[in-house]
Amino acid sequence: MTNEIILEAAESIRAAYASGSACKPVRDILPAMSLETAYAVQHVNTQHWIEQGRRVVGCKAGLTSKTVQSQLGVDQPDFGVLFADMFVSDGAEVSVNRVMQPKVEAEVALVLERDLDMTLPTVADVIRATAYVLPAIEVVGSRIQNWDINIVDTIADNASSGLYVLGNSPKRLEDVDLQLCGMVMERRGEQISVGAGQACLGHPLNAAVWLARTFVDVGMPLKAGDTILTGALGPMVSVAPGDRVEARISGLGSVRVEFAAEDQ
Amino acid sequence: MNMSNQEITELAAQVDGAALNAQAIEQLSSLGIDLSIEQAYQLQSLSVARRYSRGEHQLGVKMGFTSRAKMIQMGVDDMIWGPLTSGMFIEDGGEMNFSHFIHPRVEPEIAFLLKRPLSGVINLAEAMSAVEAVAPALEVIDSRYNNFQFSLQDVIADNCSSSGFTVGAWQKADVDISNLGMVLEFDGAAVQVGSSAAILGNPYRSLVAAARMAGEAGSELTAGSIVLAGAATAAEALRPGVHVRVNTEKLGVAEFTVSQPLSE
Repeated sequence: MTNEIILEAAESIRAAYASGSACKPVRDILPAMSLETAYAVQHVNTQHWIEQGRRVVGCKAGLTSKTVQSQLGVDQPDFGVLFADMFVSDGAEVSVNRVMQPKVEAEVALVLERDLDMTLPTVADVIRATAYVLPAIEVVGSRIQNWDINIVDTIADNASSGLYVLGNSPKRLEDVDLQLCGMVMERRGEQISVGAGQACLGHPLNAAVWLARTFVDVGMPLKAGDTILTGALGPMVSVAPGDRVEARISGLGSVRVEFAAEDQ
Repeated sequence: MNMSNQEITELAAQVDGAALNAQAIEQLSSLGIDLSIEQAYQLQSLSVARRYSRGEHQLGVKMGFTSRAKMIQMGVDDMIWGPLTSGMFIEDGGEMNFSHFIHPRVEPEIAFLLKRPLSGVINLAEAMSAVEAVAPALEVIDSRYNNFQFSLQDVIADNCSSSGFTVGAWQKADVDISNLGMVLEFDGAAVQVGSSAAILGNPYRSLVAAARMAGEAGSELTAGSIVLAGAATAAEALRPGVHVRVNTEKLGVAEFTVSQPLSE
């Protein structure tokens, strides 16, 4: 019975991707507030996509702000899987249709040069495993109608992930202050989001440690070469066709993305 | 509105009395007093003059409404400003006497120390070359009106809610301060996270505006005076006994403790 509803929920989300029209909240058919079942739904789809040939290139943390956690009634972040086809080059133009109900948030990305496959990785393990740091814009989206999500919906829906844009200029971890780095995101020169590293679980490396431990727990340890999106440094913002968004993170530089105008 | 100097002088005494006695008053606008912006600033000057007659002296000026969001919220398209006096000064690491305030709030700010006077229309380079040092700062705002509500004229007449400020250690003005992460902490826990970018995109723009407003008022920002450039985040309500600190990227901290109420 449980298995059937997990498959049904996973199918419902895949159908939303395929048709481009959002589905009803999957929490309606899943056990209330069970994160375990929600991750089982996510896992079914991850396996499905891997079998289809999509390449896993890392992971993302979501719900890394205290405010967002309390809005969703949880006290921990969540995670999703990044696939290679979700990557967007710095400054590239993308169609808003590639992500359902898109919103953007600015983040710190880590790229690993060592596996994080030890038992209970610590921040020392994460620092040792990090090759470099990049500024990132995550384009999140939701396959659930009107972003009407609770914690179960967003976890089942791969943590509402969509696309991610990485800056091209790597910085070394020891050269940046990831806790106090200021963040400002602009659309046509207008500030749409402002924040700092502290907003992400107190420090983006705290989110990285949580991800590293969680992926060991679920038997898919993070590997050398993986990209880790650590979580938003400020509020997320809806985007529309024609928008050009730039995020600047102090010490890390800038990253941009353009959303194609509708008539193109 | 036709208003005699006598009437404005009497209103100035009321507003100053509200600050002196820590007793909220009704909004002038809701009493049917319809001031022009010019009259509101005239009232502000007369009110602050009463502080000077009690032995306080001017230490600088503060800028208000320096974020786009705040200007839109207030329906205005320019900043406001008012004098900072010696009676408002709280030593860095010192104590703020809660009983002197009505419903105080605190904001993280950037402070400038001028080495040369500024007045009139200047450019960014002129503003930057007049700065001796920059520092992280905390401003305590405390509207003298009921429920912290006011019209534009009300808040100008009330010296822009200025009531206290602390400045941290001064730093050489050779750092880029346009996107510094700022974390406001109560008892060591982050309560607001933002960036100096929220201050007009760059706090130096606020100094340019302060010079312009000084010129328009026929005065100048004097050498040796302090300019508080504006808030980097929303204000946070203060409570007795709380330790308040701002931690700013590259600039460090400013802090004070709010006094405990006297025991009965």
